[in-house]
Amino acid sequence: MTAVGWRDRIGRQLSVTPAVAVGVALALLAVSLGLAVYNEHLGRAESVQRSRVQADILAASVAAPLAFDDTEAMREYLNALEANPAVEAAGAYDLQGRLAAEFRRAGPPPPAVNHLAAPESQAERLSVTAPVVQGTTRLGSVYLRVSTESVLRRALRYLGIGVVMVMASLLVAVLGSSAASLREAHRNLQDEIREREKAEEALRQAQKMEALGQLTGGVAHDFNNLLMVASSGLDLMNRTTDPARRERMAQSIRQAIDRGANLTQQLLAFARKTPLKTDVVDLAAQLEAMHDVLDRSLREDVAVRIEADDDLWPVEVDPAQFEVAILNIALNARDAMPNGGTITIRLKNLARQGGAADQVLVEISDTGIGMAPEAASRVFEPFFTTKGVGKGTGLGLSQVYGFVHASGGEVKVESELGRGTTISLALPRSEKAAAIAAPAPAVDESFAPGKRRVLLVEDDDRVAELVREMLIELGYDTIRTPTGAKAIEALDGSHAFDLVFSDMVMPGEISGMDLARRIAKERPHLPVVLTTGFSASAAAAAAEGMRLLVKPYRLETLAAELEAALGGANALH
Amino acid sequence: MAFLIDRTLRAAARLAAGLATAAGLAFAPGAANAGEASLEYAVKANFLYKFGPFVDWPATAFATPSSPFTICVVGDDPFGSGLEEAVRGQTVAGHPVAVRRLAVVSGEAACHVIYLGRSRVQAPAEALKALRGAPVLTVTDERQGFSGGVVHFVLKDGRVRFGLDMDNARANGLTISSKLQGLAVALRRGSG
Repeated sequence: MTAVGWRDRIGRQLSVTPAVAVGVALALLAVSLGLAVYNEHLGRAESVQRSRVQADILAASVAAPLAFDDTEAMREYLNALEANPAVEAAGAYDLQGRLAAEFRRAGPPPPAVNHLAAPESQAERLSVTAPVVQGTTRLGSVYLRVSTESVLRRALRYLGIGVVMVMASLLVAVLGSSAASLREAHRNLQDEIREREKAEEALRQAQKMEALGQLTGGVAHDFNNLLMVASSGLDLMNRTTDPARRERMAQSIRQAIDRGANLTQQLLAFARKTPLKTDVVDLAAQLEAMHDVLDRSLREDVAVRIEADDDLWPVEVDPAQFEVAILNIALNARDAMPNGGTITIRLKNLARQGGAADQVLVEISDTGIGMAPEAASRVFEPFFTTKGVGKGTGLGLSQVYGFVHASGGEVKVESELGRGTTISLALPRSEKAAAIAAPAPAVDESFAPGKRRVLLVEDDDRVAELVREMLIELGYDTIRTPTGAKAIEALDGSHAFDLVFSDMVMPGEISGMDLARRIAKERPHLPVVLTTGFSASAAAAAAEGMRLLVKPYRLETLAAELEAALGGANALH
Repeated sequence: MAFLIDRTLRAAARLAAGLATAAGLAFAPGAANAGEASLEYAVKANFLYKFGPFVDWPATAFATPSSPFTICVVGDDPFGSGLEEAVRGQTVAGHPVAVRRLAVVSGEAACHVIYLGRSRVQAPAEALKALRGAPVLTVTDERQGFSGGVVHFVLKDGRVRFGLDMDNARANGLTISSKLQGLAVALRRGSG
């Protein structure tokens, strides 16, 4: 332990223990008592000394009058003692010790016969004698009696000081003990806070478990419906040859799958496990690109209108999350308009005064049935839903809430029964310039990449088969390996590859991430695209700046990502 | 202590004797003057040696540290044995006190205090002149009818008092304590 440590510890001990405080107080008392006794002693000695000096002065003064028997002069000298109020009586004596002249103020007269003696203290009176000597010749003696301060007055004086000391000691003791009790209270409070934190944590856990129970029911129901649509659609497709009908079936299946994907996206967003990849975004362009998606997600009797300010400020958000949020609001709006209606999305610049940051306002209004104030105040709570059991997860708007807050913005809802609902997202303005939003890449069927070779690494046979089909559809040559180790073998083999498309989580010692790292090290010009459905893996890959496709993905997205990877690689050449 | 008591007793006896004399004389008016005079001279005899501690003589005034402090009476002696009684056992600055009686004085007289009485042999003025400059405390007495000594006895309110002539003292090389000066009824302090 260092010296500072010891000092701290001692300091703490001193400030804490009431016993120490009482000890200090007692020590203070003892010291003051000792000082009083010492002072008393000193004062007595001083008083004796003072009286002796006075007697000596008197003796010197009366030497000549005593020698020459000048009583008048002696009396004059003696009466001069009147100036000293402590002197009670005094006398001048001849060589034979007989009284020659006296002075008397109070008490008994000076003795008739004087003998030289040591100073004598008697009940508040001090008597001193001194010889009268001129040169070496004794001429007589003097006697002087002074009154000392009375015992009562001395006691009172010390009592006054004593009271002050006792009060000071008490104060020390009280301060010490109050500091100790304060510390104790502080410790108790901290214990209580810890207990409370534990209890709150337990409560949160319990709430989470309960929520998970509700969620599982809702999600399972939704997924079952979607699977039902897809399954029955496929059945129907197989039974018909009518191209128009097949096309309709395919469309419904497509929609069911999209909704399923959306659902998982929402879950992930709610769980905040998807990495938030912010970008400087022009919201107007973003919405414009979403128009088709919105149209497809909504019913035919629901119209979507987008109104955007010119020169809209850019914002810095995760564009994917933004789209999901808009989609969630739009889906809610659709459900609030069972008989159809219009969804209006307005984009406005909102200049703020007084130092607050400028914002871009996104207002989504519907012409639906609206909500009661009680419902409106709860729409952002997770799992709160006005829809029937199994019809909604209650997660849509909480994703909106999570997204807006994660982006540093605000969200509010205004609703009136029978008049519709408006949800406003206020997102902070970004000072950076918006990247030119790339339009959603369309699949160019005629695009011929010249049979580029893709090494597909995927452990799941069925997924591998499907992805292979997609790659072939996009015009790539494909070789598939089931593990990372096999992939390395393949790369070392005779075939040359233009790109590696690998799952992240695979059996074996080499994960997709390891593979990508190794390739980056050994073959820096070989582009790698990773894919995963696990959000934790996705976050790790994003953290290392790797190209990543989050499952499930669509053909267009795959095409765009692969093209981008190859393009980036080519650019490097 | 025994010494002190002895002295006290002796002094008491002396006083008693003096008082008895005075009282006795009071009943004999014709002799009153003589009695008062004897008390007066007893006091003066006391004073003569008591001047010692208040006066500083030049170092040459004493031959050796044990040389006596000598009181001389010149001319008629008004003290009788009273002077010897007064000085018995006394010392002045460590010197024993001795008494001498002289008919005449000269500058070389080995006296420290000289009381000048009436004399038909040597006029007091002459004696004073002879002693001028010598380290001697000259004492004159109003009752003797002349003055001029460093100390001059007078009677005031029936008590023996004295005047001091500081010029003469300085001329004789004597230093007189301010305490003694404070008691003097007359103090002559010339410029010279």
